[in-house]
Amino acid sequence: MVVNVRQPAIIFKLWKASIMQALEYRASFAFSILANFFDFIFGLLQYLVFFTAAQSIAGWSSEQMLVLYGVFMLIFALQFIFLYPNLVSMGDMVNSGNLDLLLTKPVNAQLLLSFRRISLEELGSMATATALLIWLVINGTINITPMTFILFPLAMLSSMLLVYCLFLMLMSMAVLLERLDNMAQLMWSLFALCRYPVDVYPSRLRFMFFSFMPIAYVSSVPASALLGNASVSQVISGIIIALTATIACTLFWRRTIRAYTSAGG
Amino acid sequence: MLLLLQLPSARRMFKIMSNVSAHLATLKAHFKIIFTYRGMMLIQSVRLILLPLVLASAWLSIEKTAGNPYSDADYLLYYLMVPIILNLTDSRLVFRFPMAVRDGSLSRELLKPFPPLSGYALESIANNLIQLVYLLPFTMLAGYAVKDRLLLGHINMQLLLLVFIAVILGGLVRMLISGSISLVGFWLEDVTTLNLVLNGGIWALLGGMIVPVATFPDQIRKFAELLPYRYMLSFPIEIITGRLSTAEIWHGFSIIVFWACIFGLIMRLIWKRGLKVYSAYGG
Repeated sequence: MVVNVRQPAIIFKLWKASIMQALEYRASFAFSILANFFDFIFGLLQYLVFFTAAQSIAGWSSEQMLVLYGVFMLIFALQFIFLYPNLVSMGDMVNSGNLDLLLTKPVNAQLLLSFRRISLEELGSMATATALLIWLVINGTINITPMTFILFPLAMLSSMLLVYCLFLMLMSMAVLLERLDNMAQLMWSLFALCRYPVDVYPSRLRFMFFSFMPIAYVSSVPASALLGNASVSQVISGIIIALTATIACTLFWRRTIRAYTSAGG
Repeated sequence: MLLLLQLPSARRMFKIMSNVSAHLATLKAHFKIIFTYRGMMLIQSVRLILLPLVLASAWLSIEKTAGNPYSDADYLLYYLMVPIILNLTDSRLVFRFPMAVRDGSLSRELLKPFPPLSGYALESIANNLIQLVYLLPFTMLAGYAVKDRLLLGHINMQLLLLVFIAVILGGLVRMLISGSISLVGFWLEDVTTLNLVLNGGIWALLGGMIVPVATFPDQIRKFAELLPYRYMLSFPIEIITGRLSTAEIWHGFSIIVFWACIFGLIMRLIWKRGLKVYSAYGG
């Protein structure tokens, strides 16, 4: 993978272009931000409603669940801003044949296809999620220790790498299946698995979620790291799994692109 | 109901008959169209079943508040049924109609001697029925995995008949509500926010998705029982769990019919006003 200064510069130019494009439809842009804000509020209300009939869930109290929700929304918003618009456009690209055009450009195809577009609509959720987490720190639910400064960023990093892996797998599927209208929605609903702590699942599933299908590291582990419940070995194994998965998915993606025989025209 | 809504006053009998056959033919056509896109149905099934499974796991691992009437078996049966009822009462009108206004295909539909709203409603119904075929195997698989913990002894034909009626009425109310919201698309270009609040958000909170309505604290439960949202999801499942008395079921039916009339009237009113302001853009 050749990464030089030129490639990030191209990505920044493309981001600027897509922001300008979004701002052209200002009313629609404002509406989306409003919709996302409501989405966040309703997500929060869901937990409040949930705890009208429950006291604690798999050992997580309602305040600890708010930490999980804050972390979950932060990661969800990040993937929505950087990855989601690219996944949505991938479906058309394969169908219309525009993918061929992009592959011939002298820029790393994986980089270009993963980060070509950006969508700022979820900035509101990101800000609200951050505000929620800060409030939880002031509130005393989150106890900041020196360990938190090491473990939480590491846990967030592995979480984001794993989300990127899922994204890359779905992108590869789009190329392989040549038709992929609701892959983007599938990614969205897979996030449902991370909305509740991984401790709620039966032990066999939990083992799977910590190993082959590492969704535990997406939201549960970063939230535990913030709460001071995560062990160092848990965070380290998360990083190792995330790095391995990233390498494996990149190799899979390259194979897929090599085997790609061009669709549409 | 939609058919009745769009036929003002009493017309001649054969007119109605030909209308019915036109509706049936449209339904059949939609079946064929949707069946072409089978692959998407599978992905959609996974989507439908995922969140209820997560919620079922969550509810099985909670420490319950005092007075929560649901046992583990109740929660399992409840969330096993959620995807099916969710799918059957779902309505795509709210996505379909604003799209038709935006891309101008509504103008074309209006020229046809067939009410466009019925067309979109039938498309939605056909979609839900085909989706059911793809959803049932997943539900059965999940049901088989937990079969030792399910209690199904009380289910009989009469109960299933009541569930059937409840699903039809619940689907009708949902269609009328999302129809009313989508018709606001005559004035607003983007109804997603409105839909998110009125149709998606409150529905998820008080309709029984996150928390089964029966397990709410009394005050919230009574409030939720008066709103139409419970009848689109929780109510049919509550009938299946066998926890409702006959009187409660009939009381529920009367509330759904009440909301159906209200939203039927609202929808009709918006439709008439909206058509006057509609100026057909796109082509």
